Amino acid sequence: MTTNIRICGAAGQGVQSFGDLLARTFASMGLHVFATQSYLSRIRGGINSYDVRIGSEELFSSARKTDLLVALNRESMEQEKANLALNGVMILNTAESGGNYLALQMDKLAQAAGGTARMANSAGAGAVVSVLGYDLDALHKCLTEEFSKKGRDIVEQNLDAASRGYRAVAGHEGLVRAPKPAGAPSTLYDGSTAIAIGAATAGVKIVFSYPMTPSSGVLTALAGLSHKYGMVVEQAEDEIAAPNLLCGAAFAGVPAMTTTSGGGFALMAEGLSLAGMLELPIVIFLSMRPGPATGMPTRTAQGDLAFAAHAGHGEFPKIILAPGDLRQAFDLTRHAFELAHKFQTPVILVADQFLTDLQKNIPALPDAPDYINLHLAKKSAPGKAYERYLVTDNGVSPRAVPGGDSYVVSASDMHAEGGHLSEDFNVQIALQDKRMRKITGILNEFIKPEIYPEPAGEILLCWGSTYGPCRAAVNLLRARGRDVCMVHFPMVWPLDGAALAPLFEGRRVIAVEGNGTGQFALLLRQAGALREFSLLPRYDGLPFTAEFIETEVLS
Amino acid sequence: MSGANENSAIETAWCPGCGNFHILEALEHALDTLGTDRRRLVLVSGIGQAAKLPHYAKANVFNGLHGRALPAATGIKMANKKLLVLITSGDGDMYGEGGNHLVHAMRRNIGVKAFVHNNQVYGLTKGQASPTSEPGFVTKVQVDGVLSAPFNPLALAVTLGVSFVARSSAVIPDHLQTMMQEAIRAKGFALLDILQPCVTFNKVNTYKWYRDRVKELPKNHDPRDRDQALAAAMTWGDEIPVGVIYRGARPAFEDAHPILSGAPLVNAFTQTPP
Ligand SMILES: Cc1ncc(C[n+]2csc(CCOP(=O)(O)OP(=O)(O)O)c2C)c(N)n1
Ligand SMILES: [Mg+2]
Repeated sequence: MTTNIRICGAAGQGVQSFGDLLARTFASMGLHVFATQSYLSRIRGGINSYDVRIGSEELFSSARKTDLLVALNRESMEQEKANLALNGVMILNTAESGGNYLALQMDKLAQAAGGTARMANSAGAGAVVSVLGYDLDALHKCLTEEFSKKGRDIVEQNLDAASRGYRAVAGHEGLVRAPKPAGAPSTLYDGSTAIAIGAATAGVKIVFSYPMTPSSGVLTALAGLSHKYGMVVEQAEDEIAAPNLLCGAAFAGVPAMTTTSGGGFALMAEGLSLAGMLELPIVIFLSMRPGPATGMPTRTAQGDLAFAAHAGHGEFPKIILAPGDLRQAFDLTRHAFELAHKFQTPVILVADQFLTDLQKNIPALPDAPDYINLHLAKKSAPGKAYERYLVTDNGVSPRAVPGGDSYVVSASDMHAEGGHLSEDFNVQIALQDKRMRKITGILNEFIKPEIYPEPAGEILLCWGSTYGPCRAAVNLLRARGRDVCMVHFPMVWPLDGAALAPLFEGRRVIAVEGNGTGQFALLLRQAGALREFSLLPRYDGLPFTAEFIETEVLS
Repeated sequence: MSGANENSAIETAWCPGCGNFHILEALEHALDTLGTDRRRLVLVSGIGQAAKLPHYAKANVFNGLHGRALPAATGIKMANKKLLVLITSGDGDMYGEGGNHLVHAMRRNIGVKAFVHNNQVYGLTKGQASPTSEPGFVTKVQVDGVLSAPFNPLALAVTLGVSFVARSSAVIPDHLQTMMQEAIRAKGFALLDILQPCVTFNKVNTYKWYRDRVKELPKNHDPRDRDQALAAAMTWGDEIPVGVIYRGARPAFEDAHPILSGAPLVNAFTQTPP
């Protein structure tokens, strides 16, 4: 049993704090929460919406239809009522009753409670819990926690506003069917926070980013954690500076990361190549939105994978990880640093607006510092000059950092093993081969795709944030008797075609991708893993939902 | 293949008579005079003829991309503030391709020393105009001569309140060495603009041209006085003042920053480097 509550209103009307309050309240009740936001690229005006979907079992996708619509203004109700479910109910923030909605004067109720119009959310939330048939306890507790710092009066006024909202819809208790609390975890995380905790616990000490939606959530979360974990979070002058600064930090022995979106990532391409050449462990978090150019700043997409896979001039090893859910966002962020340091090469962590803004209650993430292994060189043999780019069988050279006994020499121009410039053709071949040999080691650590629930004749092929919607779609389709499974890749580059080909052999493959060309499926095809596939694309800027995938597969 | 420890054994890629030789020599003397622990020294550069200098000195070397010495140096300094992080790179690298980084490194006043080999030309790419080329300077690209006004790095540094702003030249090596020592001793960001003859691609600003013009700042020049400093920084013509132009009062980024002012970040990792 699931219920979808949608808050909508003009930007600046407090849609987000309303939604946040509901999400927290439901999570604290032990309901499973899956909350997503849809907002415009502006600070005021236009219509924003916030979906809080609740269930008695874990949720993996948002819903297409709304069971309870809360409109903070009439304009947003007019726009959103088309998405109302058959038995859906609408609450409108208005004095005029008599329409096909429940009229609720949220700001008046807040004022009656002695508060300001800013407490209207509390009144609205009171009405919502009533219509869903819940009592006020959890909401009151959340409000107390939220406002306790602001003093007793503010708390009391908010509690009273919530009670007034609750009573204002008397007679409609339980009008919308809602799930029973099911002991779900009480902590809500969003994707950005999960990534930031992953990075901080892994030992990141320098974060250097230029703000760009939808990557700024991670930057902000890291800044919020900077004192707790002792991280320097500095705003970059531009995205060209970022990877170069990261290279400097990594050269000196400190894990560092930057956060960006497509346009900023484009500016990082030369620095990415530098990290490949200097063999430095840097991590770039790339949060995708629709392009080309500045595209749709606040929307979601999976359109930069092909670019990321091929970004950076010249040939060098590079790793791309793409988490599918919040726990994986935490784990793969840590893993990005592990791999970058183990193989001394750049790692790109890709997500998108959907995953970074997604909120879900999951078991608490371990937030104690647990630093990754930097894989630094042991003491060099006495009498032997240290060579930063020593040719080795696996391509990984012992990495020292300056300040110790050895001089560390790194150069962007072609260099010999010692790091100094060389224009010798044989040296060029030897060093390029050395660097590229690291790919074998990386492929040995390739993260196997998840097959859900079991191999089937038809495959929904997906990667990154499409995990949840695809997984839920598979359940819907199987319930209709379809022999289908999901194959989800959390690691998307590099690819070993021969090793992956058996996954797809003799099966019908539908590539579910948030782009118009099937970029990942094409990379698999290029690697020799996949021959034929059909494409289920989405590139309108909105995230996949299970129902969207179900409809497209059936059509 | 050459070992890394004996950097000075490497053959240089500079033309005979290049001003870079004097800069390298002055740097070696300055470091020796100060008794710098070379293992704690990182020479950072971008790309260009000047940017090759780190390979010829005894030091750790970060020879990065064209124009990007500053962000790399900033990253190194943030990671381990105990290191002496010193940039030696060209005017094209630092004032042209890397111009935005210069503005912001100076705003931060991070404790990086920037020694700019200002030969008023792009040497490595064979003689195009640089941001400091004289108006009218004719090259194979600027066939009608440079129209744009020359960039004034020193005036910009003064207006940003940078800790240390100075000018010297490869044609006065003793003075240059002194300025390098002063720059290294100063806290915060140091910009040392070094006028450097390019014997192959700049036939205007020659050894003689610089020798005829460089003139030490008067004894009574007060580098703490911003107006005097700005006047000195804006002087360019028959006389070009050299010396410590400005000493700003702002704290170094690494001293002012709540996290960086603690232990060096690199100390968080227990592994001892070889
Ligand atoms: C991104 C990029 N653009 C252009 C170049 C080509 N390039 C290399 S050095 C240089 C200019 C060098 O001038 P300067 O920094 O003054 O050094 P000099 O050789 O005069 O010492 C240019 C344009 C490059 N290496 N990278
Ligand atoms: Mg030059």
